[in-house]
Amino acid sequence: MNQKNNLIIGIIIAAVVAASYNVGADPAEFVKGIPNLGIIIEEAIQVEPELLGTAFVSMFETIEMAFIGTIVGGAISLPLSMLAARNLNSKYVYGPIRAVLAAIRTLPSILWAILFVIMVGLGPFAGILATIMYTIGFMTKLQYESIEAVDADPVDAVNAIGVSKSQLIRYVVMPESAAHLLSQLLYTFDYNVRHTSIIGLVGAGGIGFYIINYIKFFEYGKAAVFMLVVLATVLVIDWISVKIRDKYIVKTQRGMEVKARIKTS
Amino acid sequence: MTLLTVSSTNHSFTNISKISTKTLVQMNDVWASYDSKNYVLREITLSIDNGVNYAIVGQSGSGKSTLLKLMNGMMKPSKGQVKINYQTPDTHDKKFKPLMAKIGYIPQSLGLIKNLTVIDNVLIGALPRIGKLKSFFKMFPENEIKEAEKILKLVGLEDKFERKAYMLSGGEKRRVAIARALIQKPELLLADEIVSELDHVTAREIMNLVADAQRTFNLTAVMVHHNMQLALEYANRVAVIKEGQKILEIGVEGDRIVDFQTGNMTQKEIIELYNQ
Repeated sequence: MNQKNNLIIGIIIAAVVAASYNVGADPAEFVKGIPNLGIIIEEAIQVEPELLGTAFVSMFETIEMAFIGTIVGGAISLPLSMLAARNLNSKYVYGPIRAVLAAIRTLPSILWAILFVIMVGLGPFAGILATIMYTIGFMTKLQYESIEAVDADPVDAVNAIGVSKSQLIRYVVMPESAAHLLSQLLYTFDYNVRHTSIIGLVGAGGIGFYIINYIKFFEYGKAAVFMLVVLATVLVIDWISVKIRDKYIVKTQRGMEVKARIKTS
Repeated sequence: MTLLTVSSTNHSFTNISKISTKTLVQMNDVWASYDSKNYVLREITLSIDNGVNYAIVGQSGSGKSTLLKLMNGMMKPSKGQVKINYQTPDTHDKKFKPLMAKIGYIPQSLGLIKNLTVIDNVLIGALPRIGKLKSFFKMFPENEIKEAEKILKLVGLEDKFERKAYMLSGGEKRRVAIARALIQKPELLLADEIVSELDHVTAREIMNLVADAQRTFNLTAVMVHHNMQLALEYANRVAVIKEGQKILEIGVEGDRIVDFQTGNMTQKEIIELYNQ
């Protein structure tokens, strides 16, 4: 067994080396390039604080884009997820819906951004549209998986009363998966702030637009100000979403504990 | 033990398959299987009259929960016939929906929505009577809310309307599940081992509650138990299921066992026999 494992590890290492050689990834080049990094860092630490105002304004724009994208994308995702959940629909419904969602997911956000820049021109609107599409692809998968994970007993019990499907979703599926859905919405917003910063690189508005332009003109000091603002913002948003998640998820966990205690008593 | 074997081959019950006007539940030679290979129920024939408190008793794995699922149409028999009020139960059949609204079903896990309040859990039982749009926005008619409050008072939860279901004790959860079934204004109440996890005192409180409700609302109750003592105490008729077959069915009147096909036995003897 051990020999077999060693063989597998050996094969994987050989494959990495061969692939690196094939694409021309040479560690020597990396070492040679270290002094260049020094130049960038040297320029980047000459931070130009007068740009902070612009950086915050563009960061706020990015957050707004991410916010709109998350809420609109999330709102579109929810009904789609209900249709894509296997425990609520026949395969003739969830099959095609899942195929479309998988197709949406295949395009990375940056490609969506390029597509929308071509469609509606440069600026935040293209970024928002890209974020919406990306959110739909990403969130539906998370959502229909948590809908499918809803305890089957309450679903069966309420179904046996003869309620309609919309009532079943409203009174069983939604409340039972609410904590998960909320947590996913926060996570997606968190993630969207980061990637909305990036899609600006292709002209889709927000802080990324500034970063790419300063980098293009070798003004690393100016780019650094904007990157630091992104870093700080992401940390703050992360901290806030952890707080919100704790508040709601801890609550449902307590619910489960009570249930477990009664079962064993 | 020999008695059990003898009565398992006794097919005298197939003779009562003629549907009388009073019959609510009728099963004729019903076989059921989850995998179309192994039968969890075989040759089940029984009929339950209106207003009866019918108990199905058996050890775990005997197929008694499956029997309830056949009655409310969550499961279809592989063979044989199930009729509830002369209709074939099937939860996927739209024609059966009006009758589904009249069958209160309490699974062993109770099926409460843990993040909803007590009163919202109860109002779920009224949903078939409420329009889709109104129910989507939680706009319950005033009379339904009054009804839910009345039933919650009846089951002794008047001070817990707004409590979330996950915060309740085991006994309280069962009361909510019973209230949810009662607001359906059911003709038939199916309850699957709802007292088996409770202590003796609470179990009897819940059983008394069901018995009271049964009298008040004039409903037919089919309750699954694994405790024979409890079944004999509360039911008018008791069917014993063993390894998927109905091995005996007895009528109970107070302390007396009546219309028992294998002769006169006392409750104590029945319990001893069952525990073998």
